[in-house]
Parts: sequence; structure tokens; C-alpha cells
Amino acid sequence: MATETAVADRWVEEFTRVCNQDEELQAHGKFFDCSYLLDMGSHKYQIVMHHGKVEEILVDPGPLDLRYQFLIRAGEDTWREFGKKEPRPMAHGIWAATFREDMELEGDLLVLMQNLRCVTRQMELLRVSGVPVHEEVSAPQQREPST
Amino acid sequence: MAQFSPVTGHYVTIDVLGDECKVFYLENGEGTPLVCQHTAGCHNHQWRYLLEDEDITSNYRVIAYDLTNHGKSDPPTNKEWWKQEYRLTADWYTAFITSFCDALELEKPIFAGCSFGGNEALQLALRHPERFGGIVSIEGADYSPGFFLDWWQHPHANAAQVSASGVWDLMAPQSPDADRAATWFYYTQGSEAFRGDLYFYSVDHDLRGRLGEIDTSTCPLVLITGEYDYLTTPEDSQRTADGISGATFIKMEKIGHFPMSENYPVFKGYFQQALNQIQEESQAAMAR
Repeated sequence: MATETAVADRWVEEFTRVCNQDEELQAHGKFFDCSYLLDMGSHKYQIVMHHGKVEEILVDPGPLDLRYQFLIRAGEDTWREFGKKEPRPMAHGIWAATFREDMELEGDLLVLMQNLRCVTRQMELLRVSGVPVHEEVSAPQQREPST
Repeated sequence: MAQFSPVTGHYVTIDVLGDECKVFYLENGEGTPLVCQHTAGCHNHQWRYLLEDEDITSNYRVIAYDLTNHGKSDPPTNKEWWKQEYRLTADWYTAFITSFCDALELEKPIFAGCSFGGNEALQLALRHPERFGGIVSIEGADYSPGFFLDWWQHPHANAAQVSASGVWDLMAPQSPDADRAATWFYYTQGSEAFRGDLYFYSVDHDLRGRLGEIDTSTCPLVLITGEYDYLTTPEDSQRTADGISGATFIKMEKIGHFPMSENYPVFKGYFQQALNQIQEESQAAMAR
């Protein structure tokens, strides 16, 4: 459990850094304000965005910790593929995986659509930061940046 | 030193079921006419590389038009289109293409359409095989439900960004950033037509149970589909080809739903395969 906590902590730090330094996200994120949940099976991560910056990431938030507007849920295998530089077809995007894999979009989808450009880019940054589903695929130093 | 493209643009006014349509098209090359249809909510710049590819234009007269309501082809000039909801139908779409080919006096052109153009390619194969020298259905299938969505025009969201980012995942992650970005950019320009185009794509186009009626004996039909296309998957196109006597299916690897625009070098090889297949089948048909 301590290892998993360390993985989560490292990922939170790395994903925050990658997002907040990403030229594309920062160029278009002036109004990127929302809070959403990434449900990755054994763990959940709540991403709180403000003016295009990661303001906070909650790891396994409690049911009433902080409200969120929508969630993106998929099994660990889907997220693991999603995070690869060349993911298998249908696990390569949130629309693709929702139409063809086990990914689900829930909550206020209008907020997702309002922020779709930035959310789409932010999800792709998981290919730079790594995905915190298994230690061997979550270490960012094993993966080249996608840009 | 200024660089001028050999591609030229023209307008032609045609009648489509009573609608007066001033149609913009780009063209380059000499040889067999190759009429190219862009995808839903987009315009002819998706064919920008093909239009300037001498390997193609040395043998084909490439003609890429903007369908009415797209790009530089305005909505019909003789109707109050702004008082109606735009919904493209198979009847109108088919009439547009045959009227356009008549206006340019094209004899036995090859038609290549992608996505909703790939579906329309199948409509042409069913309705007018005698008019075409061959048909390439790119990312096409007998039926492709699920994309006639209100999100494309929802007033509470940025329709340009929803349309463009909504189709982002239709491209393969391996495709070059610059070409994916250009394709995204085109999609920010067509959100008003996008939803209505998808009425055809996901609702009005339904050839389930009718594939057996398609006659490929004089009009070869090739379907090509990218493996990263989550709307019309290779399995969908394979199933469709299997239902049509004489049709060929080619799966494209490491590419998605906008192949000619998102990664032309990869697309080109498969597209040439399709054109060669059509040429071989045409020659075999003539020899019979």
C-alpha cells in the first residue's frame, strides 16, 4: 500500500507539472475551469482545474470531499493502453474508448463539452506523465514525451 | 521566391433537385477524372496533398469540391435556407454528385468519398454504377449510427471546439501533429453543417439488407478503412464488403478516420492500391 501511495503521489506531482508547463494547454486554457474525476478502477483521482492550471488533485477522494462536475471511468487495462505512446485502436481517446471499450462518461456532460478542447489535450498528457494504474507503467521516465 | 501551386479553383452553378447551388472545386492533373468528397462538416482542403501529388495527378484529373453548405460552396442561393433545419439526405446528396459530374461533363469518373462521403460512395454504387468508372468508399459502411448528436450545435458550448475536438479521437495518435492540427482546424469551420451532415451519416444512410443489390460488374468498388476509426471500424467495412459481390476491402494500419488529411503518406499507399484494383478490374471487365 505504501508503494501504491508513493506511485500516486509521484503521479500527482508529475501530472501537475506536465499540465502546467504544457504550451498547448496554457495557450488555450484561460477559461479552463472545472473539476472532474478520473476513475481508474482501484483508484480515483479528482482533477481541479482553474484558469488552465491544475489547482489540486485529490487521490481517492471521499464521497463528500469536493464536488465534481463529470467523471471519466474505465478499467485499468483501458487506462494502461490509453497512456501508451501508441495505444491500441479504440483505447486511444476518450470518445473512442467510450464508443468501443469500457470507458464511461458521467455527470454534467455539458461541462465536459464546454471544456472539451482542453480536456482532450489534458488526457493526452497522460502519455507524458504516465498513468497511475501500475507501477511499471506509471514511471514517467520510461516514456518519451509525446510532443 | 513565391511558390505557386498547380491547383486551380473554380465555381460552377448546378441544379440539385431544384436548389441552385454555386459549387466551388479545386482541381489538378490530367487523365481519368477522380472526384473527391470531403468528410462531414469539412471542406476540400482535406485533399490538399492528393491534389498536389504528381504520382497521382500524372494519371488522374483530381477534382475536390466543397459540398453545398461547406467551405466556399454557399447554401442554395434560391431558397430561404436559414428558415430550415439543415439535414442532408441520401437523395439530395446523390443528386448533387451526379449533377456536378454532368456539369463538368465527366465521363466515367472514379468517385472517392470519405466518412459520410464513404457512405455516399455506397449509395452511388447502389443507385448509379453505370455512371462511374469505379468507386472508393473510405471509412464507409452499410450503417453507421450514433453520431447525429445535439452537442455539435449546443448553444451552451463552443460548437467549433466541440466539433473539432469531438472528432480528434477519430485520428490515430501516430499521425503527425501538424496534420492532425490542420484537420482539427478545418473542423472548427463547419459546425453548422456538421450535425446536418451526420443526419445522413447516422440516420438516412442505411443499406442494411440492400448490399446484395449493388452491382460491381462494370463499376469496381473498393472499401478502405483505418484501424483507429471508432465510428466505422474496419470490421464494419469488412462486413459491408462481404455483403457486396465483387467488392474489395483493404484495412489501413496506424491511421484513422481522416486518412487523406491526417497522414497522407500512409494513406497514399493504400489509396494507390485501391486505384490499381479498380484499374485492373475495369480492364478485366472490358476484356470479357
